Amino acid sequence: MTPLLQINDLSVDYLTDENGGYFRATDRISLTLEKGEMLAVVGESGSGKTTLALSIMGLLPENVSVKGSIIFKGNDLNSMPEEDKDTIRWKEIAIVFQNSLEVLNPVMRVGDQICEPMIKHLHLEEDEAKKRSSELFGLVDLDPVWLEAYPHQLSGGMRQRALIAMALSCQPDILILDEVTSALDAFTKAKIADLLIRLQKDFGYSMILISHDISFLSSLTNRMMVMYAGRAMERGDTDKMIDHPLHPYTRGLINSTPGIFLYRDLWGIPGEAPEGEVPGCPFYSRCTQRIQQCKTSCPDLRPVDIEREVACHLGGVVTLLSASGMNYSYRMPDGKMLDAIKDVCLDISEGEVLAIVGQTGSGKSTLAHMLAGVMGSGFGEVLFKGNRMNGERYGSHYGGIQIVFQDPVNATSSRFTVLDAVKEPLDINNLERLDERIKLVKLALSSVGLPCSDEFLNQFCGSLSGGQRQRVALARALIMKPKLLIADEITSSLDVSTSANVLRLLKGLQNSQGFAMIYITHDLMIALKVADRIAIMERGRIIEIGNSHQVMLHPHEEATRKLVEAKTNRGGLIPGG
Amino acid sequence: MGKGAIKTDIFWLQNHWRNQWHQRYWKHIIESIRRTFASFTMAGRISLIGLLLIIFVAIFAPFVTMHEPSAISGSSLVPPGPEHILGTDELGMDIWSQICYGARMSLVIGLAVSLISGVGGGILGLLGGYMGGNWDKLLLRAIDITMALPSFPLLIVIAAFLNPNIVNVILVLVFLSWARPARIVRSSALSMKKQQYIISARLNGAGSSYIIRRHIMPEVLPILFVSILNIASYAIVAESGLAFLGLGDPTSKSWGMMLHYATSFRSIYFTPYWQWWLIPPLVALIFLLLCLAFVGRDMERVIDPKLRMGGRS
Repeated sequence: MTPLLQINDLSVDYLTDENGGYFRATDRISLTLEKGEMLAVVGESGSGKTTLALSIMGLLPENVSVKGSIIFKGNDLNSMPEEDKDTIRWKEIAIVFQNSLEVLNPVMRVGDQICEPMIKHLHLEEDEAKKRSSELFGLVDLDPVWLEAYPHQLSGGMRQRALIAMALSCQPDILILDEVTSALDAFTKAKIADLLIRLQKDFGYSMILISHDISFLSSLTNRMMVMYAGRAMERGDTDKMIDHPLHPYTRGLINSTPGIFLYRDLWGIPGEAPEGEVPGCPFYSRCTQRIQQCKTSCPDLRPVDIEREVACHLGGVVTLLSASGMNYSYRMPDGKMLDAIKDVCLDISEGEVLAIVGQTGSGKSTLAHMLAGVMGSGFGEVLFKGNRMNGERYGSHYGGIQIVFQDPVNATSSRFTVLDAVKEPLDINNLERLDERIKLVKLALSSVGLPCSDEFLNQFCGSLSGGQRQRVALARALIMKPKLLIADEITSSLDVSTSANVLRLLKGLQNSQGFAMIYITHDLMIALKVADRIAIMERGRIIEIGNSHQVMLHPHEEATRKLVEAKTNRGGLIPGG
Repeated sequence: MGKGAIKTDIFWLQNHWRNQWHQRYWKHIIESIRRTFASFTMAGRISLIGLLLIIFVAIFAPFVTMHEPSAISGSSLVPPGPEHILGTDELGMDIWSQICYGARMSLVIGLAVSLISGVGGGILGLLGGYMGGNWDKLLLRAIDITMALPSFPLLIVIAAFLNPNIVNVILVLVFLSWARPARIVRSSALSMKKQQYIISARLNGAGSSYIIRRHIMPEVLPILFVSILNIASYAIVAESGLAFLGLGDPTSKSWGMMLHYATSFRSIYFTPYWQWWLIPPLVALIFLLLCLAFVGRDMERVIDPKLRMGGRS
C-alpha cells in the first residue's frame, strides 16, 4: 500500500541574495504519512518545521529553491503547476496555522472567513456554506453564534478552534497543524488535544502535528520525527523515543520539556543552533559526545531498530560506562562476610544523570567508590568508553572519571591553598605549563561560582566554609574535564540553602559541560530534581532502575514504594498528581 | 591572641614544612618561625632563649671558659671566685668549664638519640601505616614489645654489660625510644591515607612518593617534632641517670658524671662544697630539661588543634 504522502529528500533553500547565497531551511528530509496516521514533527524554533509544512502546502515564498519530491496520491506536488496545486490545497491538504490575530482577517467576520474556502474550492452556495460553517463550529465545540464575531472578539482557544474549523471546511485528507497549541494555556491545550483525537477517530484524518511541545505531541501521535537545523535527527515511535531517546538532541529536547519529568527542574540545551551551513553534524557544537568525524561529515538517518532511525555517527547516545557483575563484601568482626554490593549491573550513557538512591548502608557509596576505582580491581567488570577498566586510574587524564566525596572538610587538604588544591591533579600528571595551570584553576573556580582573585587563591582550604570547600573540590574535579563525575552525597553535610546552591550549580555545570554524572544520595526528592534515571539500592542490590518519573509514579518494588511514600507523606506531596 | 590566629599559625607552620620540601620561600619559613614563636607563652619563650643559650655555651665552650675541663687548674675544692667562677672540684678542675663542656655531652646525646629514633622510628611508622599488611603487623608487635619493656632497669642492665662509651649509650637509648615516634607516625599515616583528599589524589594518578611527600610528611612532621623534643629530654635524663649511677663513661665530662662524683664525695653535705660542686650541674640539668619541656609543651599546644582535627573521622 502506497502511503498517502511521501516526501523524498526534500531540501528547501532560501535564496538570500542575487549572488547565489542561500540558507538551507530543510536538508534532505524524507517522511511518509499513512492514511489516518498522526505524525509529530518536533524541533526548536528555526529547525525548519514550518518550512516543511509550507512546502507540503506549496505556500513557500518566491525566493526559494526546492529539491526533492513531495508525492501526494501519486502526484509530485513540487513539479505541479500552480493551478493544480490550488485544487489540492485546502481541499486535500489543509493547514492550521499557529493561532494569532494575523492569520485571520481582522475586518472580516469569522463566519465569512470560514465560508470563503468552501465557496472557492467546493463551489458551494453561500447559504450552504453558512450551514456547514455552523456544523463545523459544532464539531470543534464552538457555539455558532461566534460566526458573526470578529477575530479580535474571540479568545485564543476559540480562535484556534475557528482555525481548525476552517481547515476542516473542505474535508481534506491531510491536516497539518503548525504549533496549534503553543500559545494556549494547559486547559485549552488539553481540550484541543481531545478535539484532535476525536476528529481523527471520527473522520480518519491524517495529521502532521508540528510543535516544540513534546508532552502535547506525546499524547496524540504514534510516530515522531525530530528536526534540528533543517535535518531529521531521529525518527521513530513517539512513546519509545520519549522513554529512551537515542539522539542527544532528542534527549535535550525532552529534558527541556515540562510535563514529561514531573519533578525535575528544567534545563535547556546549552548553546545555539549553527548559523549557516556547517560541513559536519549541525548538532556538533552542542553535542556532549562529539568526535572528530562529526565535525567533518554529516550523518544520515540510519535505522538502529525496527521503525527507529537516528542520524548520528555513533548511533545515538553512547553508553559511557557499563558495569556488570559487581560484587564486594566486607569481613565483619566475627569473621562472616557481609555483602556490601551484590551482582550489580549498571549502564551510564554519555551526558546522562543517574541518581543512585538508597538508605544509609545500602551500599551506594561503596558502589560509587568501586566505579571510581577507589577499591582497585577484581570486583566486577567495568567498561569505560568501551575499554575494560582494570583498576587503572581513570582520573589521571582529561576525559576520565572524577569523584567528589561527601565530607567537605575532608575533600581538600586544610593545609593546601585553594590554588594548590585545585591545581593538584594537573601537578600530579604534569599537564599543561605552569602559567597555563593557574589560568585553568581560575577558570574552574569561576565556573563553580568562587572568586578567582589572588587573595582567594592563596587562602588555605581550612579557612573556607563547608559550601566553599565543596565547590573547591568540584572545581578540582572539573579541571580534569571529566566525562563522568561521581558525586557521592556531596550535599548531605551542607545546610539546606548551601546544599541547594551547590546542587543547582552542579546540575548547571553538568548541563553546560555535558558530562555524565552519577549522583549518590539518600534523598529521593533531590534525586528527582536532578536525575534522568534513578536506581534504587537496597542491601547492596539495585532493586529498581528507570526513568525518574516512572520510578516515582509507578514504583515496582515494595521498598521503592515505601521510599516514595515516606517522602511524599512527610513532604505533603501527593504522588501521581 | 585569638583562636583564629593560632589556627592560622598552624597553617603557617605547616606551610613552612611543605615549602621546605620545595626549597622555596625562605621568607615564609622565617615568617612561620616568627609566628610560631609569637604564639608561645612567656615560659616557652624564656625556655627557647634558654635552650639557645645552652646550645651557644656548648658550642663555644672553649671561648666562654678559662680552663680546660679536665685540667687541674687550681687547688681542690676552691669556692667560687674570680679565678674559678664556680670554684673547683676535689681534683681541682674548674666546675664552670665542666658545666660548659658537659652541656655538649647532654646535647649530643639528646640530639643524637632523638634524631635517630625520631627519624628512624618515623620512617618505620610511615612505612607501616602507609603500606599496611604484614610489615605493619610486624612493626606493631615490635612497638608493643619495646613499649612494654621497663626502660630504665633495662637501660641499667644493658649499660652495665656494654662498654659504657657514648656510642653504646646512644644505641641503647635509641633502641628504647624509637617506638613512640613510630607509633605516632604510623597511626597518623594510617588515618591519613583514608582521607578523601588523599584518595582523590591517588585516583588522579598520584604515586606513593607524591602522597607521602606532599600530603603525609607535612602533616606528620610537626607532630614528630614534638615527639623528638620529648625523646631528647628522656635521653638526657637517662644519660645523666646512668652517669649518676656510675654507669657512664668515667673519662667523659657530663653533668651526670659531675653529680656522680659530687655525691660520691663522702659527707659532702657536711661541707660547703655541695653548694658549688653539686648545685651547678643539678641546676644546669633541671634548667635544660625545663627548657625542653616548656618548648615541647608550647609546640604541642600550637599543633594541638590540628591533632584534634586529625582525630576527627
